[in-house]
Amino acid sequence: MKKFNRRKILKGMAIGTGGVAASSMFGTSAFAADERIRHFWWGNPSRDERTYKVIDLFKGANAGVEVSGETVGWGDYWTKMATQTAGKNMADLVQMDYRFLFEYVRRGALLPLDDYFNNTLFLDDFDKSAISGGIVDGKLYALNIGSNSQVCIYNTAMVEAAGAEFDPINWSHKDQMAVAQKISESTPDGVHGVDDATLDNVMWEVWSRQSGKPFYGPEGTVDGTVADLEKFWEHWAEMRASGAAPDAEHSVGKLGSKMAESGVVTQETAMSYMWSNQIVGVQSLSKDIIGAAMHPHMDGGDPGQFIKPSMFMALTRDSKNPELAVQYMNAWVNDAEATAVLGLERGIPASSKVRDALAPNFSDAEKVSVDYFNAIQTKVGTLSPPPPKGAGETQDAYVRVATNVILGNTSIKDGATAFIDEANSIIDRAS
Amino acid sequence: MRKFLAKNAPGYVFLSPWLIGFLFLALGPILVSLYLSFTKYDMIGDPRWVGLSQYEYMFTKDKRFWKSLQVTFTYVILAVPARLAFALMIAMVLDKGIRAIGIYRALYYLPSILGASIAIAILWRQIFNIDGVVNAFLSMFGIQGPNWIANPDTSLYTLVVLAMWQFGSPMLIFLAGLRGISPELYEAAEIDAASKPRQFFAITLPLLAPVIFFNIILQTIEAFKTFSSAFIISNGDGSPADSLLFFTIYLFNEAFKFFRMGYASALAWTLLVIIGAFTALSFFASKYWVHYENEKD
Repeated sequence: MKKFNRRKILKGMAIGTGGVAASSMFGTSAFAADERIRHFWWGNPSRDERTYKVIDLFKGANAGVEVSGETVGWGDYWTKMATQTAGKNMADLVQMDYRFLFEYVRRGALLPLDDYFNNTLFLDDFDKSAISGGIVDGKLYALNIGSNSQVCIYNTAMVEAAGAEFDPINWSHKDQMAVAQKISESTPDGVHGVDDATLDNVMWEVWSRQSGKPFYGPEGTVDGTVADLEKFWEHWAEMRASGAAPDAEHSVGKLGSKMAESGVVTQETAMSYMWSNQIVGVQSLSKDIIGAAMHPHMDGGDPGQFIKPSMFMALTRDSKNPELAVQYMNAWVNDAEATAVLGLERGIPASSKVRDALAPNFSDAEKVSVDYFNAIQTKVGTLSPPPPKGAGETQDAYVRVATNVILGNTSIKDGATAFIDEANSIIDRAS
Repeated sequence: MRKFLAKNAPGYVFLSPWLIGFLFLALGPILVSLYLSFTKYDMIGDPRWVGLSQYEYMFTKDKRFWKSLQVTFTYVILAVPARLAFALMIAMVLDKGIRAIGIYRALYYLPSILGASIAIAILWRQIFNIDGVVNAFLSMFGIQGPNWIANPDTSLYTLVVLAMWQFGSPMLIFLAGLRGISPELYEAAEIDAASKPRQFFAITLPLLAPVIFFNIILQTIEAFKTFSSAFIISNGDGSPADSLLFFTIYLFNEAFKFFRMGYASALAWTLLVIIGAFTALSFFASKYWVHYENEKD
């Protein structure tokens, strides 16, 4: 009986992903029921459904293997992850963000994948640029499971009804103001052209790149200037004053709201800012067709946007079965069925083969996001190094100061100075 | 030893559920957190001993620490008296011998049970929103109310109102206290033609003093520890603009958002000392206004 099981499993493994049979013949006599790995990710309902489906596929192809999925929202994810890391109880595989990758690698929480390269993990069809985002200190620690970029999403019906026209890839801040004003005028009271970006630190970072002084310099210092921040906030004060953007209290009230409450979904605004992999999610919540535009450009400025790995999968030092874990990882990015289930929900896949296989079956929203992704390739800047330690805290500080500025409790000038000072002291303390 | 056991064993047996929990579950983490407060610890690596520098930073450099104290103290000073006054008022109404008092007691206690729940905090957000119930009510009088929760000037008061609404547990304690006051005293006062307010200040309040004192201590500690409602209403980070940065919210963010477990532990111990000092102060002050009936003096 035991023998039968084992043969069956080996066969399943071999069919599953190949390459594993050789390693499984060595050692591990108890190859059966205790083969268990845990996969931990941050998600949303659609992502969780897709991921559990992939887990079932993997279990189906590898009898006797148990994969348990654990998921929470982004907000609680890093708390749980830190707690598990401290308790030396990390899942075998964790979803990783570009921002935290270096921190986790440098503290020894993740294992390099180089040893598995070309025997368990096959990345022949991967874009080189997509692989390089996961390399830390010369070793590959994290596997790109999707790329994204910033995006300005818009409600196509509202734009059309207003008779506004614009080139979604090549447009300036002035163009956007005109479009947004037109929409505000043609819609009922309380509906506005574009969400206010004053409280949005991603937008401020894009603006600082456009101004030629990225907020974080290559060495992880705070390089953004008070003058640029003032200009950014003044621009949005003008947007509010002109009616293009909603009033300040509305925007403060929207702080921390979920995707389903965002202005474009509730049709309180026609345009808003997100990450490009979220287009699919937003479309599933909206009646009207969602379009994708770049963030408006600055006249004579640098490119503000960049393409980044939206998520990684990484192997942790607490993994008791790294071989199996990497095998699962490999299936994730190469297996035809698995990649078909995952689609573009986590971002654009790094493997050209997977992209080609997905193309004929794209939904409309997926088409929008792929077309967008292709169109921006030459319009984006280079990926900056990951932000320094303390970047998350700086983000909180930004929202705090910006709230006082938008509500008029602090002047733009004082606010900008206060924030840049605070950012400096946060980064100093964290390093 | 035998004598000690014979005398105290039953007490310890009754205490044991709590005692066992404390010794085996709570004591360890408490001691570890004391140790961690002298270290830098990001939960991923190992703790690194830094002596008193966390405390030094807290008191000399950390503006948000002082801000969180300001928010917490403002809340305690407003919410505790408001809740107690409201609780006493309802308790006195219920003490008048209304029929089916049990039902009223349960009804009035309900908010306190629900109050700590996440659902109520979310409901509270809705009620005080720009198009919430409160503003709908105000607009009937032609008043355009602000977005109470999104406005740093008003957000804290929405939580004070929430605290007032959760008057159930002090109310029950007051009710028990009121029942303990002998009716003969009021009858005597009636005969002497003392007015109702006079009766309240000359009989009710002094005789209720031990109960009031007990409630003040409990509610103050409770108020210092306010967390879940503030967490939900402030998006977990004390926003808008740190107006809801309760001490506990700050502590939570330092520990689980910015991974400064050492610093957060130092904050926790500071809070313990503050609450301890407050309680000690209350006990000290109580000598001057609380009199126990069975005191032999």
